[in-house]
Amino acid sequence: MVEAIEVELQSVSKFYGEDKVVDAVSLHVNQGEIFVLIGPSGCGKTTTLKMINQLIPHTSGRILVRGKDVTELDPVELRRSIGYVIQYIGLLPHLTIRDNITFVLQLKKYNKKMQRERAMELIETVGLPVSYLDRHPRELSGGQQQRVGVARALAADPEILLMDEPFGAVDPITREQLQLELLRLQETIKKTIIFVTHDMQEAFKVGDRIGIMRGGRLVTIGTAMDIVRERDEFIRNFIGQGAIFSALDTIPAARAIIDDLPIVQEGAALDDDVLSLTGDWENIFIVDGQRRCLGYISLSEIKGQRKIDREKVTACPPPCRPGDSLKKVIEEMLWGNRAWLPVVSEEGYFLGIVSFQSCASLLVG
Amino acid sequence: MRTNPLWMNVWNYLVSKADFWGSMLASHFMLVVWSSCIVIILGVPLGLLISRNKRLRDAVLGVIGVLYTIPILALFGFLIPLMGIGLKPALIALSIYGIMPVIRNTCVGIEQVSASFKEAADGMGANRAQILFRVELPLAFPVIFAGIRTAIVMSFSVATYAVFIGAAGMGTIILIGMRTYNEGMLVSGTVLLALTTVLVDRLLGWLEKGVQKKFGMVEP
Repeated sequence: MVEAIEVELQSVSKFYGEDKVVDAVSLHVNQGEIFVLIGPSGCGKTTTLKMINQLIPHTSGRILVRGKDVTELDPVELRRSIGYVIQYIGLLPHLTIRDNITFVLQLKKYNKKMQRERAMELIETVGLPVSYLDRHPRELSGGQQQRVGVARALAADPEILLMDEPFGAVDPITREQLQLELLRLQETIKKTIIFVTHDMQEAFKVGDRIGIMRGGRLVTIGTAMDIVRERDEFIRNFIGQGAIFSALDTIPAARAIIDDLPIVQEGAALDDDVLSLTGDWENIFIVDGQRRCLGYISLSEIKGQRKIDREKVTACPPPCRPGDSLKKVIEEMLWGNRAWLPVVSEEGYFLGIVSFQSCASLLVG
Repeated sequence: MRTNPLWMNVWNYLVSKADFWGSMLASHFMLVVWSSCIVIILGVPLGLLISRNKRLRDAVLGVIGVLYTIPILALFGFLIPLMGIGLKPALIALSIYGIMPVIRNTCVGIEQVSASFKEAADGMGANRAQILFRVELPLAFPVIFAGIRTAIVMSFSVATYAVFIGAAGMGTIILIGMRTYNEGMLVSGTVLLALTTVLVDRLLGWLEKGVQKKFGMVEP
């Protein structure tokens, strides 16, 4: 599938006098992806972000938003068409949450009825009660304020969202929650998001692709797994030890599923086809008519019999979902002292299992 | 000489001369209202203007600071040769005194609006006028209002001096009371002036609280 490019930077630079803050950065961001820009402080990531909506004009190069050169667009119109979320949130303290959310709509002079409806819709989208609309920002916690910040950025339904360290000002637990909410939200809104952070964990978690910046230059672009395999010394130092484990957070269990398992329907006799699938796998799975996993029985218990003794079937360990991260799956295995876990779809179908080996071979591969 | 206790003299004066002190109080209020209008209309835009330019700001605040240190009677000394006596020079003198806190508070109020709010508004596509009217002025408003309150309350006391430049007000009652050693008149004028000043100050303070609440600056 060829994805449309929403934002493109062509050799974009920013000088302050002799100082090259951003140096010949080229990148493109596809429609519907979360592109993370990361780097040590002063690397030019925020400047790069702010050049996209022209809060900071670039010195040279070309910036295209939906194929149009930003210098040819009215900066006010450009910014109204791009959602913007900043670190310190910037909710206006004198306005109610409703007026904060609809700020862009007020600037665009939408009618009042539509503003009210949109505010109701958005506050629910970000998971806050409608009654909060009449409150002032200071009555909300940091995490709640940040949710309002996201709602505000979404008000005019922009295709593109710029997020500048959006979760930098909240505590780690709230931050993780907000990250997960963003990902969940993104499944339905499918915006093109450019996300600046200095937190590698966060980058791995939310980023479809990650660009690492250093001293104004973009040193690499890739997925989390590409990044953790980089040999470059700066990148290795920057992402830090244990980065690979963070990257595990971004890979869904679905990619490590073993599904060529010996499975037999309840009550059916074991045939050679099923037994031939066992290989070095010593368990046989029993499913019911709806393909729900009833349990498993080890080959040693069968002892050559063709009929399965219900007494000897062991119940499966608590299952995981195909969308769970490998990190979560491995964690569950360690907690439960298991070598594998069944994977069950939302509808309850038995999809297969993930094991330590299947996770490991994915990483080595 | 003393036949009646003080409170009775005061009471007699208040009852018998209600017309006179009433009109003097009204003139006093008019002086304050007009000078406050001038002060707000000129002071707020000036404060705004100088908040945009550091050199202009320092120059303007410097000049006003100097004007502010001139005693009011000396200021009359400058104004009488220029504009004669009457309401006009009195209003100008009052405005010069009142404008200082308004200009200063407007400037400081605008300056202290956190850059993050302006950047957020800018990033959402607010133009300059929208940033000014929807972000900067509302956020600075409590500080600006505090300056206006100071100016109004101060002009209540300064307006007492207006009598020296030929403008009527509560100063007239106090001055006549002093010169004629009319105890009842003197004390009535003083008490009336003090009471109205305190009352206006309370009223403005109450308004200020309301404003802060409205603008989400304090817990409701």
